Amino acid sequence: MTQSLKRALVTGGSAGLGAAAVIWLQANGYDVVVLDRDQPEGADNRVEFVVCDLASRTQLDTVMPDLIAAGPYDLIFLNAGINATGRFESIDARAHIDVIRINAEAPMVITARLFEAGALRRGGSAVFISSLSRFTGYPGAASYAASKDTLAIYAKSMRSFAKTQGITLTVAFPGPLKTDHAERHSPEGADASKRMQPGEAATLILTDALAGKKTSIPGPANRAFAMVGRVFPKPVTAVMRRLLYSKL
Amino acid sequence: MIGPKSRRILITGGNTGLGLALATKLARRHKLLLSGRKARDDVAASLPPGAGYIVADQSDPEASASALVDGVAEFGWDGLENAVLNAGTGFVATDGLDSADAIRQTLDVNLLAAVLQAQALYPLLKKTSGTLTLIGSVAHKGSATVPAYAASKAGLHGLARALRSEWKGDVSVQVLHPGPAKTEMHDKAGYDPGLMRSLFLAPDDIASMMASAIAARRSPVTLSWVKYLNGGAYTGRRL
Repeated sequence: MTQSLKRALVTGGSAGLGAAAVIWLQANGYDVVVLDRDQPEGADNRVEFVVCDLASRTQLDTVMPDLIAAGPYDLIFLNAGINATGRFESIDARAHIDVIRINAEAPMVITARLFEAGALRRGGSAVFISSLSRFTGYPGAASYAASKDTLAIYAKSMRSFAKTQGITLTVAFPGPLKTDHAERHSPEGADASKRMQPGEAATLILTDALAGKKTSIPGPANRAFAMVGRVFPKPVTAVMRRLLYSKL
Repeated sequence: MIGPKSRRILITGGNTGLGLALATKLARRHKLLLSGRKARDDVAASLPPGAGYIVADQSDPEASASALVDGVAEFGWDGLENAVLNAGTGFVATDGLDSADAIRQTLDVNLLAAVLQAQALYPLLKKTSGTLTLIGSVAHKGSATVPAYAASKAGLHGLARALRSEWKGDVSVQVLHPGPAKTEMHDKAGYDPGLMRSLFLAPDDIASMMASAIAARRSPVTLSWVKYLNGGAYTGRRL
């Protein structure tokens, strides 16, 4: 490995959008550190792997010094996330807690600690994976929607500070992807053909991030949805209820 | 009695700030149960007469949710017409950066506690076709002074949007976003607003706007100068 390689950190890099980001970054000359709960079988040995369950504060605090030491990073891709779908009142309280911790708290803490330690290289980028749900109410995944809104606004609020450190922040709002994760949380019999391939989403998001864009909504269909959701928040939420919540 | 019927209302963080201002306003007409972090003896003198009090420290979100449910039962109530999840905390980000501890504390108290409390209180609210009110902040659109606080309030906004749709017909869910008020919040958060403070609204006026927004069950509602100058504190529905 040469000194000239750029370094990237990808959380949740073992599967889905995260794994696609790892592939894109390697192809574009990055040395990648992956943080995930479990290391996939037959893992790429070019990847430095840090095992951590982000639902656990203790585990995150334990690996944080290693994450800092593995830097400084030119790009961080904060992507790890889980969903909990169903009627809000019937979902196990533990699942709600994990959703908020993994999707919102962990990436916020990682960002803060990396900034504190000076582990983000000037000129670098930080990418926060929020969700297209930001542009609509999301009945059937209330705590998930809350966690993704939390993350989006944290990133937005940190932008001026990041600028003083020479880092650009990009918030990405991907829509449904063809991943196992989406499969598990969509209603039975949902049409998977319209979901975007994770590789395509990762390429679009990372291209936007490296161009210094503040937000990235991958794909014209998602951009159209976001626009309609912004203009007609309540009717769009009502449609979401019909399409998703009533089928859960 | 002339006017609206007396309701059973739970207000978290009801022993101080906007929560107390709201409680004071509603105490004449409604039955109140307030919660706070402090011990009963420390707050008894400042509570409106007749109001019950539950100790529920939101820095342990799970425990705070069960404390509320137990407290309601012990008070002899079998349902709630209104739950106002108002308790919140905030820390100014020193040099623009929240510490890990501040992030965790803020999300626990402001967001996760509300999530678990909403879940735990649902059966009580459903019984009366009641209203769940989440108290957000105008900062929910983002703030470089208090990033974690702003983020937690954005989370409440998203939670309310989803729940309002999910619980349609069972429980009304709303989120209210008050502007800055002349409370101790800013001192506690380590922020000196300086001369800006004179532009903050009086807690009592915001409480009036909260009360009529709660009665109207709309969501989301921003309670700031724009609404105030339109007579928001003196007109609108009465709770």
